[in-house]
Amino acid sequence: MPDRNAENGPTVADAEVAVARLTAMSSDLRGCVILAADGSALAASGELEPWERAAREVLAAADAAAGEPASHAHVGTEDGEVFAVRHRGFALIAASDRFALASLMLSDMRAVLRELARAPGAAPARDARAKAA
Amino acid sequence: MPPKPHRAILDRVSGYADEASAYLRRRRLTRRPFARIGAPGGRAIACDAETELGRELFLAASRVLDVARG
Repeated sequence: MPDRNAENGPTVADAEVAVARLTAMSSDLRGCVILAADGSALAASGELEPWERAAREVLAAADAAAGEPASHAHVGTEDGEVFAVRHRGFALIAASDRFALASLMLSDMRAVLRELARAPGAAPARDARAKAA
Repeated sequence: MPPKPHRAILDRVSGYADEASAYLRRRRLTRRPFARIGAPGGRAIACDAETELGRELFLAASRVLDVARG
């Protein structure tokens, strides 16, 4: 089966649908953001800029701690928990309540990212963002 | 022979105290910050908050939680 994503990346709309799907799937979720391979935010549950900055910092810190690009990360603090998952260049970073079921959350995030990576996409995300601006 | 009444009360009180201390112990363990990182190939790394890299990761995670709070 041909890899449709190799020709056309997912659109911003695809990423927004993915964010909405994860929000609907997980009752513990507080918010999330999807980053493209270049680190730019495709969609977020709130304002893009602060989400993009914070998500990139988490990924950079996880990569530095692992000594190589991390495939996923799970950080628990007293305020809540943060999850990060990478799949085929995309990254999904989510914040959840404390004591969220980690395996369920990571599984949902991977499912959403897999679906996003498979999206046919009418135009690459970067073009769609430029048009929207 | 039935136990003396004060013994039954003492047993009950110490039972509640045991339950409470076990609850506090569990709560202390579960509230401790933690970080787990998965690397390609299935390698898993536990990151300690005492280290420089761990501290950076916890700070970055706190910023994500701040953004999520809005």
